[in-house]
Amino acid sequence: MLKDFLEGKPLRHPLHPMLVHFPIGLFLLSLLLDLASLVFPSVPDLVRDSFYAMLLGVITALIAAVPGFVDYTDIRSDHPAKRTATVHLTLNLIVVALYGINLGVRSSSLVDPKIQMVPMILSFIGVALLSVSGYLGGRLVYDDGIGVGRHKRRTPTPESTLYLPATNVANDGDLAFVPIPEAESLGERETLRVEIDGQVITIAKIDENLYAFQEFCTHRFGPLSEGAFEGFNVQCPWHNSCFDGRTGKVTQGPAKVDLKSFKVETRDGKICVGVQRWTGEST
Amino acid sequence: MKWSLDLLKGKWLRHPLHPIIVHVPMAMWPSALIFDLLSQWQIGGNAMVHLSFYAIILGLVASLLAVPTGVLDWSSIKKEKPAWKIGLYHMMLNLIAALLFAINFGLRMQDFREATAVARIPLALSFIGTGLLIGSAYLGGRMTYTYGISVARMSKPKWRKIAEAAGANLPPE
Repeated sequence: MLKDFLEGKPLRHPLHPMLVHFPIGLFLLSLLLDLASLVFPSVPDLVRDSFYAMLLGVITALIAAVPGFVDYTDIRSDHPAKRTATVHLTLNLIVVALYGINLGVRSSSLVDPKIQMVPMILSFIGVALLSVSGYLGGRLVYDDGIGVGRHKRRTPTPESTLYLPATNVANDGDLAFVPIPEAESLGERETLRVEIDGQVITIAKIDENLYAFQEFCTHRFGPLSEGAFEGFNVQCPWHNSCFDGRTGKVTQGPAKVDLKSFKVETRDGKICVGVQRWTGEST
Repeated sequence: MKWSLDLLKGKWLRHPLHPIIVHVPMAMWPSALIFDLLSQWQIGGNAMVHLSFYAIILGLVASLLAVPTGVLDWSSIKKEKPAWKIGLYHMMLNLIAALLFAINFGLRMQDFREATAVARIPLALSFIGTGLLIGSAYLGGRMTYTYGISVARMSKPKWRKIAEAAGANLPPE
């Protein structure tokens, strides 16, 4: 429940990207006031004003860190964006620490007409690092869709991909039937993200049955293992394309191409997914 | 012409520009309200009146850049999509909020240097402006997080490669 709240599900909007406006804006304001104190030393109290902007920046940064950390833990561990997110998180912690030091350094000279060099430089470094970090945070959203459409999903998303080989398994014509032990305990409207010899497949339980289809949406390749379910439809978290989970057919655009779908069968008492023996080369 | 559109869309940065720029007014105007309220409660006194004034002007300057980038992002949404209408409301609310803060700024110019508390009318304008802005920003966030506007716009080739390597059916290029 607390996790859902911190992920912004009741608001249907992630909390972290809402809150980060404040530290970003306030640290920038603080730097501009520092610069103004150098250019216009006759304007009274700029150094003091800058201190308070920075103080509110630190407070809001600490508040933003909490849902940010929850969002971080929610990214699939083998997602290519996880590394970007780690850098984003680390940089932000450094920035907050620098601003903590900065506040301490400048607190004894609030009545100066001009800002001193050391806190000024700290502010510069802070804004520079924060710009990089904020940019990376934006890339997480706009490149990798982190947090996009997450509120539509009611069940937990896969924590990592299951990597399975298609060797030493039963063959049936062209198909290799690969046992998926984890599918036995899958709950209703939960998913697995499985990679078999390079093919990435979502396995979903809908209405007590298991269905398997390609992981990537045929519009802009959003992750269907993180999709939401509506009846037998799976909805892409990014742009809301819908597919029938049973057949892979498009039921709602913007996607126009059907998903590749895979057979799920019980063989020798094991749940298996049938995949084409596939060399990894596209045809 | 095209280069200036690409500049405003943030292609050179590989990141849409509008959501970056809006951090500034979105931080500054609600902060101005916080500073106003602190000054009313006699916390911080004149420093809060100053800060509020500086926050409002920084927000106004940034909003001059936020408008063209936002209009451009909006213009590439198809009219029949739900996000188009949300974008329209988002834009109208933002323009009203910016106008209110511009008036607010004008009302403060006389006495912000000396005052220890913000007067009633500017305070009321900060309240209304911040309220509208938060509503509007929420709509802007919905465009990204519910409708995926600008999501995977620039990373589409990267994801296509990944999906292709994973054996997926692909859309025609």
